[in-house]
Amino acid sequence: MVDATTCGTTDARTILHVRGLAVSAGPRALLRDIDLAIPERRVFGIIGPSGAGKSTLLRCLNRLVDLDESLHVSGDVELDGRSIFAPDVDVDTLRARVGILFQQPAIFPVSIEKNVLFGARHLRRLDRRAAADLAERALRDAALWDEVKDRLDAPAVKLSVGQQQRLCLARALALDPEVLLMDEPTSALDVQSTDAIERLIVRLAPRCTIVLVTHDIDQARRVTDRLACLGLRDGVGRLVQCGPCCELLDGRTNAEVAERLGGGSCCD
Amino acid sequence: MLDPSYLNRIRRRERIAQRVIGLGGAFVVICVLGILFQISWVALPLFLEPDAEIRARVPTSGEVDRVVAFGVGEYIETAYVLTRDGALRYVLLEDGKTIAEERLASPGADDASIVGVVRHGAGRYSLTWSDGSVSRERFAFESTFDDEGVRTIVPATSRELGLAPDEGDAESGAIVESTLLPADESGFTRIDRLAEGGLRLHVRAVSTSIFGDSEATDHRFDLSADLEDDRIEALDLATDGRELVAITDSGDLLRWEWDFSDSDDIREPVLVDRVRAAEPGARLTAVSYVFGDESLVVGDDQGRLSRWLPARSETSGNRRELTRIQTLDPQDGSVVQLSPTQRDKSIVSLGAGGTAILDHTTAERRLLEFDADSRLVHASINARSDALAALDERGTILVWELDVPHPEVSMKTLFGEVWYEGYDEPQFRWESSAATQDSEPKISLVPLLFGTLKGTLYAMLFAVPVAVLGALYTSQFLSPRMRGIVKPLIEIMAAIPSVVIGFLAAHWFAPILQQSMTGLFLSFALFPVIVLGVVAVWDRYGAAGRVLGKRREGFEFLLLAPVIGLAMWLCVKVGDFAEPIIFGSDLQTFLFEGLGVVYDPRNSIVIAFALGFAVVPIIFTIAEDSLSNVPRSLSAGSLALGASRWQTAWRVILPAGAPGIFAATMIGLGRAIGETMIVLMATGNTAIMDWSPFNGMRTISANIATEAPEAPHLGSLYRVLFLSAVILFVMTFILNTIAEIVRHRIRRKYARF
Repeated sequence: MVDATTCGTTDARTILHVRGLAVSAGPRALLRDIDLAIPERRVFGIIGPSGAGKSTLLRCLNRLVDLDESLHVSGDVELDGRSIFAPDVDVDTLRARVGILFQQPAIFPVSIEKNVLFGARHLRRLDRRAAADLAERALRDAALWDEVKDRLDAPAVKLSVGQQQRLCLARALALDPEVLLMDEPTSALDVQSTDAIERLIVRLAPRCTIVLVTHDIDQARRVTDRLACLGLRDGVGRLVQCGPCCELLDGRTNAEVAERLGGGSCCD
Repeated sequence: MLDPSYLNRIRRRERIAQRVIGLGGAFVVICVLGILFQISWVALPLFLEPDAEIRARVPTSGEVDRVVAFGVGEYIETAYVLTRDGALRYVLLEDGKTIAEERLASPGADDASIVGVVRHGAGRYSLTWSDGSVSRERFAFESTFDDEGVRTIVPATSRELGLAPDEGDAESGAIVESTLLPADESGFTRIDRLAEGGLRLHVRAVSTSIFGDSEATDHRFDLSADLEDDRIEALDLATDGRELVAITDSGDLLRWEWDFSDSDDIREPVLVDRVRAAEPGARLTAVSYVFGDESLVVGDDQGRLSRWLPARSETSGNRRELTRIQTLDPQDGSVVQLSPTQRDKSIVSLGAGGTAILDHTTAERRLLEFDADSRLVHASINARSDALAALDERGTILVWELDVPHPEVSMKTLFGEVWYEGYDEPQFRWESSAATQDSEPKISLVPLLFGTLKGTLYAMLFAVPVAVLGALYTSQFLSPRMRGIVKPLIEIMAAIPSVVIGFLAAHWFAPILQQSMTGLFLSFALFPVIVLGVVAVWDRYGAAGRVLGKRREGFEFLLLAPVIGLAMWLCVKVGDFAEPIIFGSDLQTFLFEGLGVVYDPRNSIVIAFALGFAVVPIIFTIAEDSLSNVPRSLSAGSLALGASRWQTAWRVILPAGAPGIFAATMIGLGRAIGETMIVLMATGNTAIMDWSPFNGMRTISANIATEAPEAPHLGSLYRVLFLSAVILFVMTFILNTIAEIVRHRIRRKYARF
């Protein structure tokens, strides 16, 4: 329906290219004909109604979709021009390059510092000094350093949910990902924490590509550069529209956008 | 607004549910406490103090020093008193009335009086008469019932043997004291202490020819030479008449042995032991065999009591020499008399201070002290060891009824190292029922505790890694479809009756293991190498992917299963092939000859597998549940950070599931400790203390199962078995409590929210 090129020209290089992606769970199709070009070092938003397959699409981008054995993926996703589904691709390395932030923070039952360094430890040997530096940098990037610098050895589960979400962000940032996928990262958070995360997204954008799934159009308006709208057609998620955020949402109210996207309300 | 009646109904139901649940919980707690209370209640009397109660005081007509023998009958209703002139009087303890009187006469001259008495216990005495004759008497009581069923006690005096004076012994005072022991036919053994300090042995052996003619042979020996000018203070002849111990005024303990029972193999008396038994500055005053005639007790003038046993030491080589094995609590003043009980290893000692004391030698337990207002000068315990008669300085016979239900049980015999008769050093031993009546029961619970821990430890060594790693693989790597098959299958394993496992272990697995032991040890090294090697090759050439296709994850075990089977087969084959090359002959011979290790076919390795097999399903199921219940977000989070599946399983899933795994291990441990049938069938049930994997063990539970049917109701063994049950209970209780505490700690540590 909507070609990748119709997303509009952009001055930035395309880092992730989704071509004809379709996902089905057994006989039931979840997503069909998704074509996206995600530009580098921008915030790319994906909005759409519940059940449109936003999260599934996001999980295809770093092959977390593999975890669910009932899902079947066809089509292709290219990262820097190379298919991520190629047999010689090391999934673990891919996931380190394409990090993800979930709706609910998934905190390991260890100390704050160990949580931050969890991913980094798998990739390279870290001596004590380098580890401490990396932890501090990642926590500063996630704007959590000032709050936890005195208790890095404390159990991470004691942090508030907002702090935990930023800790997850720090954990992903410690890997220096090229792309950071965010799956409604603020939906479990209060207003202040949401605000903090949004500010972080804006701040991080020049450093790494962010793909943000959200159902909050205001949030999309606030932080995204480009936006893809998924909609439901006959129960299957499809790409409805894609383009620069300002164009897509220009002057329109939420209700109008929702109506245009079809398939029910976009925001609850 | 909710309907109030509806709300009330909900509240009522909640209250009822709460009460039912509370009641159920309370019921369980009460049951458990009740069981603990019941088994403790049965075991408790082991530790109660023995009790003695004065039953009678019977005044004797004669002066104290005229009484030469007295004692109580088996039913503590009657007593007898023998005076120096041979007058024997039977009295009723109830009122002191005389029921019978008779006069014993010397086997020689009529007018002879008694000059020496030797007590043999159970109413038997050797009497030495002034005319030089010797007799052996027995004073007993018989119960008879008349037509109306009224019981009367009739005294029964019997002379077991009477010897007229030998030539030269007739002169008054030649023999101070004789010990006479009748043997078969008219044979006997006789020891004479002579007035001038000599010691004589006279054995009359009677042999019967096939025609029925009997021929008596006399063997006479003068043992005086062995004394080396010392004087005998006291002596005791063993009840088999082949051994004599004596103490001398120089503080030596002497022992002779002889054997004339076989006329073709006569062994003349030999002084086999002469040891210094007296402490410096002390004088030995009394000696007596302990019941069974294996060990003996020596008393000195300072009240010290020590127990001696012929035992081998490092210096004595193969010869057993008398060794002091125990020192009992001291008596009050010089030890004037020692008499053993006729049922166990207890001994009655009488001190110069006038106190009689009942000690159990093996248990080193002071059972009773008999204090009267007056000084006691003689003491005698009856044949059933349930009454003690003592004569005080005023000539009154005091009779105590004893209640000593478990004399052999003390903390020392239960938990300590004890030097038992027949052993060369103190040991922890469990041999509760002995072959002969006079050998002591060995009731140390330490080897049983040891066996329990050993069996459990070996089983856990096998079961925990297998079960936990299996659970980890099943929950994290196996495809859900396979997991749905594997998990119930393993759970069914738990339903296999342990008697079946025990039977298979003992009669099928143990012989196989015995054959392929080398293969087993080889497999520890070869197995990982082969499996890892095959995995590496598959991995390298991507063959796994080609064979199983894209959906290969979760089915890797299909490739590995034949490899594992092949590796096992190979290990066994290589083992069989390599055994003669490595060990010369076979492993068992090598172990025994090269390392001195005994290979018992039903050993701890069999137990490790069999008991492990029984425990694996329990640990597996609980561990698998806890690992599967680790939130998926955790593993997704870990995988999303670039961790591999293995890293995720090892560093995220395993720690998060740790409380459950710990609980699973503890529950498995509890099962292994209490497991009875498998250890009963698949080990030799020998109560040895040895960590060797090639030996078996005896566990508390198997011990209870084996011995409970044979233990006399409320007897010592019965109560000791209950005590071991209490210990087992407490052990499991402590274990579970620790498990619960640790589990809570871990859970708090890994708590998610």
